[in-house]
Amino acid sequence: MTEIIVVTSGKGGVGKTTTSASVACGLARRGKRVAVIDFDIGLRNLDLIMGCERRVVYDFVNVIQGDCTLKQALIKDKRLENLHLLAASQTRDKDALTADGVKRVLDELIAEGFDYILCDSPAGIEKGAHLAMYYADRAVVVVNPEVSSVRDSDRILGLLASKTQRAEQGNGGVKEHLLLTRYNPKRVASGEMMSVEDVKDILGLDVIGVVPESPDVLAASNSGVPVIFNDESDASLAYDDAVGRLLGEDKPLRFLEEPKRGFFARMFGG
Amino acid sequence: MMTKPADAAAPAAIDLRFGQVGLMQVRIRSTDPGAILDELTGRVASAPLFFQRTGVCLDLTALGREPQLEEMRAVMDAVRRAGMLPVGLVGGSAAVESLAATLELPVLAPSRPQTQAVPVIQAAERVEPGIPALIQHAPVRSGQRVYARSRDLVITSTVGAGAEAISDGCVHVYGPLRGRAVAGARGETSARVFCQEFRAELVSIAGVFRVFETLPPELAGKPVQAWLDGDDLRFAPIGA
Repeated sequence: MTEIIVVTSGKGGVGKTTTSASVACGLARRGKRVAVIDFDIGLRNLDLIMGCERRVVYDFVNVIQGDCTLKQALIKDKRLENLHLLAASQTRDKDALTADGVKRVLDELIAEGFDYILCDSPAGIEKGAHLAMYYADRAVVVVNPEVSSVRDSDRILGLLASKTQRAEQGNGGVKEHLLLTRYNPKRVASGEMMSVEDVKDILGLDVIGVVPESPDVLAASNSGVPVIFNDESDASLAYDDAVGRLLGEDKPLRFLEEPKRGFFARMFGG
Repeated sequence: MMTKPADAAAPAAIDLRFGQVGLMQVRIRSTDPGAILDELTGRVASAPLFFQRTGVCLDLTALGREPQLEEMRAVMDAVRRAGMLPVGLVGGSAAVESLAATLELPVLAPSRPQTQAVPVIQAAERVEPGIPALIQHAPVRSGQRVYARSRDLVITSTVGAGAEAISDGCVHVYGPLRGRAVAGARGETSARVFCQEFRAELVSIAGVFRVFETLPPELAGKPVQAWLDGDDLRFAPIGA
């Protein structure tokens, strides 16, 4: 049984692609067969974050238009053999995507026996974002703890509840999860940033993960190694927790408090 | 993935369904396109989002005569220019029926000419069934709009910032109201807005509205009701 998960947000720059890469790697690291698709046609980024930008020959649009087979376009990850990437096209625009074409590719991936298909949505609420969410079973809505991101997420949640195949067929709708990124407990404590509770309260959804703001994320992106592989980083641990919760594990949220000072305090002070 | 019945050889190209959608009626009292355009643009300016590309049906019963085809085309053109889309005609006479046929519009809710006068007593005996409120449990998210036509609207969840809860009757929100609440959308002045946690951006009753740039501290976050007192919109905490 394949599950299609869309990673979306409405607002740009909140960490959709970073999240897609880390969640895909996290799922694959737990033995799942994972395909991750970059839906941001024309602004190809996921391949960079995953560190395989020089191995992109064929892309998603090529597959849809029949220029190549799906197998030719799927890029196998060098670190995890059960992880595959379908890159976006850098030279086309979002009009190259069609509902039929997307469905064909997804059906083919399902037939291939993937456990999870992750759809990395572009920002906005137009065609690319619409098609990324349309066939999803679940949605990870990435939100930063600030008002504009929260409002855009609310908008996206409304679209998930109405403009998706599951919503239209009325079979339970898309299961929605919130993932907070760029969370800075210090700034939350000083009242500059919204807290997890504020965001939960406004969006009325449970939180599947809180990823603390961390310089490791930028470093990971630039080096093409998803941050989840950096075992020293809080962001990595937070993403791994979120992956566990996606798979139904019950884990308490961590990194909601400012880190304690000093090595021993961090090790034993909780 | 596909949950079509097994006997369906090919997926159906269409589904036929009955559904109710709210539809505004524009009662035409004069066929002067200039006057219509002026009045409509005035109304539209008061709530541009609400009227933008809204389907309307044109009610010709108040005109007292049958308009000519050219006259009617000019009226429809004025309505379109105001940003609305005429989708049908209302009117009883055979002339309106033929006008509608020429314009390729349906006649909606025609009060067909009675062949015999219906006894008044019989009409009075007919009891109007009460229309139950439209109840929505899912949150109304930013950018969504829920409209309860000819009845109350009950939302058991939240109305998000940038969302609109609209009703011809009262609007009840049993959660935080962060967006807009419009009661008495077709002019019912006794309609009210009730909410459990007041954080509204805008409240309107029968076209009288108030925008909350900042929330009054005595109302913010509290259970509140709003009603119309003459031309004034009044707000008060409930149960305080």
